[in-house]
Amino acid sequence: LPAPPALLPYVPRVPPTALLGKLTATTFALERPCCVFGRHANASDAIWLVVAFANASAAFRNPPSRADVPRYERLPTDGSYMTLETAAAAYACSATSSPALRVGGDTVCRGQGCRDPCNGPLPSPGPYRVKFLVMGCHGPKAETRWSDPILLRRAASPSTIDPVPAHHSSHAVVIASVLAGLGAVLAAAVLGVVGTEVWGSLCRQDSGSSAFARRSYRTHHIPPALPQPVPPGCRCSPPGLGCVPPRPPAPCPAQ
Amino acid sequence: MAKSDDGIRILQGLLVFGNVIIGMCGIALTAECIFFVSDPHGLYPLLEATENDDIYAAAWIGIFVGFALFALSILGIIGVIKANRTLLLVYLILMLITFAFEMASCITAATHRDFLTPNLFLKQMLERYKKSETDNNNDKWMTEGVTKTWDKLMLQNHCCGVRGPSDWQEYTSAFRLTYNDADFPWPHNCCVMDARGSPVNLDACKLGVPGYYNSNGCYDAISGPMNTHAWGVAWFGFAILCWTFCVLLGTMFYWSRIEY
Repeated sequence: LPAPPALLPYVPRVPPTALLGKLTATTFALERPCCVFGRHANASDAIWLVVAFANASAAFRNPPSRADVPRYERLPTDGSYMTLETAAAAYACSATSSPALRVGGDTVCRGQGCRDPCNGPLPSPGPYRVKFLVMGCHGPKAETRWSDPILLRRAASPSTIDPVPAHHSSHAVVIASVLAGLGAVLAAAVLGVVGTEVWGSLCRQDSGSSAFARRSYRTHHIPPALPQPVPPGCRCSPPGLGCVPPRPPAPCPAQ
Repeated sequence: MAKSDDGIRILQGLLVFGNVIIGMCGIALTAECIFFVSDPHGLYPLLEATENDDIYAAAWIGIFVGFALFALSILGIIGVIKANRTLLLVYLILMLITFAFEMASCITAATHRDFLTPNLFLKQMLERYKKSETDNNNDKWMTEGVTKTWDKLMLQNHCCGVRGPSDWQEYTSAFRLTYNDADFPWPHNCCVMDARGSPVNLDACKLGVPGYYNSNGCYDAISGPMNTHAWGVAWFGFAILCWTFCVLLGTMFYWSRIEY
């Protein structure tokens, strides 16, 4: 009976660094398990990633050989599969390459029935648990612990977005109210001026004389001159000729 | 007598000055509105697709109002100098009509700007960008407009989505129906491009490694020009109307003082 695989204390996890795409609807990223396997993996060994639904991870049994590895297509039925077969050298301490592993990033291989392990997109948001398994020529040699449950994103429908603004901005209120006020005052002023004009022209037509705009013509009555009182001592022989001062009587002629 | 003569002369001078300002502002308003209608930032297809392009209608009204103000200011100057009651009456009535139109334009521009919220553009982008099945010609036209505009926006402004690339992850979209999530967590136009127009590192862009994708949203690139457009039409028109109000009141007073 082969020895059970060694349990390594490493726990796979989603990278804590700021990667916006570390969790999408059908893929997720995992930290590279660099320098984890050490002496448990030879150069000829392959390191697989086991992906299982969180509730099926306890029931997963390591496959005895490479031929028994569950493929990607078995995920809906068995609840688990193995993928990302990598040479152990890729996870050696000195290896430097991409910062994270992307699970579910290969869209070309699914459904083709090819024998190679397929890293196809995950069909549902999960949650999933993963672990790494070192497979040698004679079967599994070492495994890591199961990760914490990884829940993928669920997208909402755009019909839940409400585009209506909460309230009108102050700009709109100020402009609308001030302009409405100005317009009202202007309309009232024009009506007032035109109205007074029309009313004035109607009054002028009633009085019959349109030549004088806004002034009433006052007639001035000139009375005829009265006769002046005659100064005393004056004899006026033809009347109106003015006053002749009295002449001393001429001496009577001698008889 | 001499004193009121002087007063009338001063009033005439002020009214001519007022009308000169109105004429110049009318030309400026026309020029500004022609600039906005010409859509230098290429954002009109987004508004057309919202079926709420009233800020463009306000700019169109502004073009004609500007011309009208210029023509009427000349009429006003002639009427004031000649002290002709008929000319001034025509001037007053036509100015009142122009005032009403410009009021409509300002209020439209100000209130409709409020409808252009980030959520409006987000919803439109998710429902129309790269939509593959369109119902009719009109739908197809609007979809193509939105798609071209967004592609251009994302490439030129180095931005992604309305608030950020996570818009594409938080909501399903028409884009998602055609382009699967594993290969396109967000459109490839969100990736940092090299000189030939292809992503520098597509895998890093898909993973969201900082530096290989555009992390800011495009809302600033959209709202900036639209704010300038709406406030330019609304507040400049408001200023012209306040000045015109004073000139019109002065003209009415002058008109009532002219004798036959």
